[in-house]
Amino acid sequence: MEENIITINNIGKEYPGVQALKDVSFDIKRNTVHCIVGENGAGKSTLIKILAGAQQRSRGEIELNGIPYNPKNTRHAMNSGMSVLFQELNVIDQLTVEENLTLGMEKLRFGFIRKTEHQDRLQEILFSMDKTIKLNHKVSDLSVAQKQVIEITKAIATDSKVIIMDEPTAAITEGEIAKLFAVIKDLRKQDVTVIYISHRLNEIFEIGDYVTVMRDGCMIETRAITEFDGCTEKIDTGTGVVERTVNEETACKALIRMMLGEVVVTRYTPKEIDKTKVALSLKNISNHKLKNISFDLYKGETLGFYGLVGSGKSEIARAIYGVDDISNGEIMLNGKPINLKSPDKAISESISMVPEERRTEGLCTMLNIRENITLMNMSSVSSRGVINKSKERELSTDYISKLQIACRDGNQKTALLSGGNQQKVVLAKCLNSNPSIFLLDEPSRGVDVGAKEEIHNIIRELAKKGVSSIVFSSELPEVMNLCDRIILLYEGEIREVLVNGQNHDFENILHIVTGGSV
Amino acid sequence: MNVKTVDACMQKITKKIPAQLLIITGILVLLLIIFSFFSSRFISSRNLLNILRQSSFIIMTGCAVTILMISGNIDLSVGSVAALSGVTMALLAQSGVPLPIAVMGAVGIGLLAGGLNALVVSIFEIPPFIGTLGTMFICRGIALILTDGFTVRDNLPSNYKLLGHGELFGIPFPIWIMLSIIIISVVLQKKSVIGKYSIAIGGNKLAAELSGINVKKMVSIFYLIIGGVVGLTGAVQSSILGVGEPNIGNGFEFDVIIAIILGGTTLDGGEGSVIGMVIGALIVMVIGNGLNLLGVLTFYQSILKGAILVAAVLLDQRMRKQ
Repeated sequence: MEENIITINNIGKEYPGVQALKDVSFDIKRNTVHCIVGENGAGKSTLIKILAGAQQRSRGEIELNGIPYNPKNTRHAMNSGMSVLFQELNVIDQLTVEENLTLGMEKLRFGFIRKTEHQDRLQEILFSMDKTIKLNHKVSDLSVAQKQVIEITKAIATDSKVIIMDEPTAAITEGEIAKLFAVIKDLRKQDVTVIYISHRLNEIFEIGDYVTVMRDGCMIETRAITEFDGCTEKIDTGTGVVERTVNEETACKALIRMMLGEVVVTRYTPKEIDKTKVALSLKNISNHKLKNISFDLYKGETLGFYGLVGSGKSEIARAIYGVDDISNGEIMLNGKPINLKSPDKAISESISMVPEERRTEGLCTMLNIRENITLMNMSSVSSRGVINKSKERELSTDYISKLQIACRDGNQKTALLSGGNQQKVVLAKCLNSNPSIFLLDEPSRGVDVGAKEEIHNIIRELAKKGVSSIVFSSELPEVMNLCDRIILLYEGEIREVLVNGQNHDFENILHIVTGGSV
Repeated sequence: MNVKTVDACMQKITKKIPAQLLIITGILVLLLIIFSFFSSRFISSRNLLNILRQSSFIIMTGCAVTILMISGNIDLSVGSVAALSGVTMALLAQSGVPLPIAVMGAVGIGLLAGGLNALVVSIFEIPPFIGTLGTMFICRGIALILTDGFTVRDNLPSNYKLLGHGELFGIPFPIWIMLSIIIISVVLQKKSVIGKYSIAIGGNKLAAELSGINVKKMVSIFYLIIGGVVGLTGAVQSSILGVGEPNIGNGFEFDVIIAIILGGTTLDGGEGSVIGMVIGALIVMVIGNGLNLLGVLTFYQSILKGAILVAAVLLDQRMRKQ
């Protein structure tokens, strides 16, 4: 048997306008837990999708068990022995545990489902991981962690040699995490290799054997966990049990240094903020995700929120914009309390939001560029409900040249534009509603470097005109290059407020947003 | 004009007309040719006017429902609301109310039914298929209760048939009404904020909401517009028949939906056209009329209608994939 179960050789992946993976090569050793880490947009999820067969690589070779591996779809990947535990679990709540485990592989007799000896094997695998789950339980009664166990059982039962776990601990409790880790450690004995993706760096040191760090679509380094400073392993010669001791602080910081690389902050110029003019103020805002969020936004200020995916950035934007409900707290606009129940109310108060997902939340692809740009403020181009097309054309042409949207003309459909140009259309749409408070949720995610800089310049220009902006981002250079103050967010809570322009320890910032102590 | 500019002009024109519309227009022309070949009576101006008058119910209602369906919703109640409106007009006229007010009564009842749909679908958030199905049964029940299940035909004023049979410049009133509703709807769909919002809501409801469109209010407006138009349709229908018939319009909602889908509107929403629906309705009516003249039983016509619907959607799907 080969020592490496997976060999990845120079693979690359391109999306229109973006290079998501560049010449990535590394090996994954058999029966290990191999972690992959990196900031958002580093290329982790693209790599996973390629391994899982959900997307095809543009070039390069992958070998699985020494055989070339070219999955056409996820089904094909599964048959080759590669299973994925997605964040959105693939179980059907209305069926029982057994029905879920045999789904799609039922043995039939005269068209009826036949019970087989297969059942015993399933029971055995399931029992080895969680003794409390019975085959006849309804899946809807199980916890998220137990549902994960069901999926892992299914993967083992179908003879998967590799299980990819995409942030499996994101939605489960501390106690369940411990159980899941026990299951993962046990998988090695079942001849299963685990590829583990997580934002929580301490987990990497707890269960990982190897870690691959990715940044900007490149593989930076693959290293054994024991080679990190602060990690030592002792083998008890009597029992053969490996004991690992980790100095979390030292080890995490070393890993963070690899993830961040050189943070280049050259584009920020400090400016005077008049602290007597508070444009927007949140006082103790709480809801399903947020815990006591309080801050002031000054007139003309650009405020940044930095945190990982799931830290509550979007939820703050959505609470201000009237999309999500607030269970507690107060929002003040220019010193007056407001209670916005929907986006149209927010827009009428001159608040505008660039949503996180431009394709599903920002654009209406059935409409063309011109119609999208005016969508948020129809009164600017219509009177008594009738649209003045020439006015609309004039206005949209104006935005197209001002924001340098690369397109044939305003009549072009938005679906085929590149990510950066789509984002500029969304920006134009929001700008046309004349906001005095501008919320931008991941304003430059998935756009190329040039467009990113152009988008940042638009935000800087707005600040000069006295517009107050809040940039919600999971990219540290973005907030460092743009924002006057930066608020660090972790699990729906404000951890730290930094004033930009001073020398900050980026490793420490990343340490805080990944759950480390302040 | 040289050849090149003519060419460019043609290209511009064909680019503006969607392929779907070209195809169904072709089918309609083909049907007209085939039927006039088989039956000399078919192509007579009287018969063609008759087809138009028969299509007017579907087209009038279809105009309003198209805009709703572009927004990704559906209305199954139009058939029984039209019947209820017609019955209301007949009962009002019977009790001595002046005819214009009786017509307004019919439109008012339609608006009430539209309001009920808006309440159930937009405010209570019941899926439109279920919500409007409920309205359909409720309105049919009320129409039957009001009339004790009998046709209202006695003591109607002498001018009761005026709306359905009167003429202006030799063209019946219903066709004038239909034409004006088509024109208003095309303007609404192509030029107005309402038309644009319906595409935005049907194409991407979430983005529409985040862009500040009050989706609930807009969908309510679509249902109210339908209510008013269906009320008028019921009044015209009742006037053409000269009676108030509580059982009329069974299956009318599906004729409307077939015409709309033939016209290129998808059930998912986001796309569609009023003109396409008009052609679709004409195709359905031309087939019915032509086969009647040829003496084909209506049973077979039903099979043909079903087959054409499925074939049209299949064709549309295939074209979209390419």
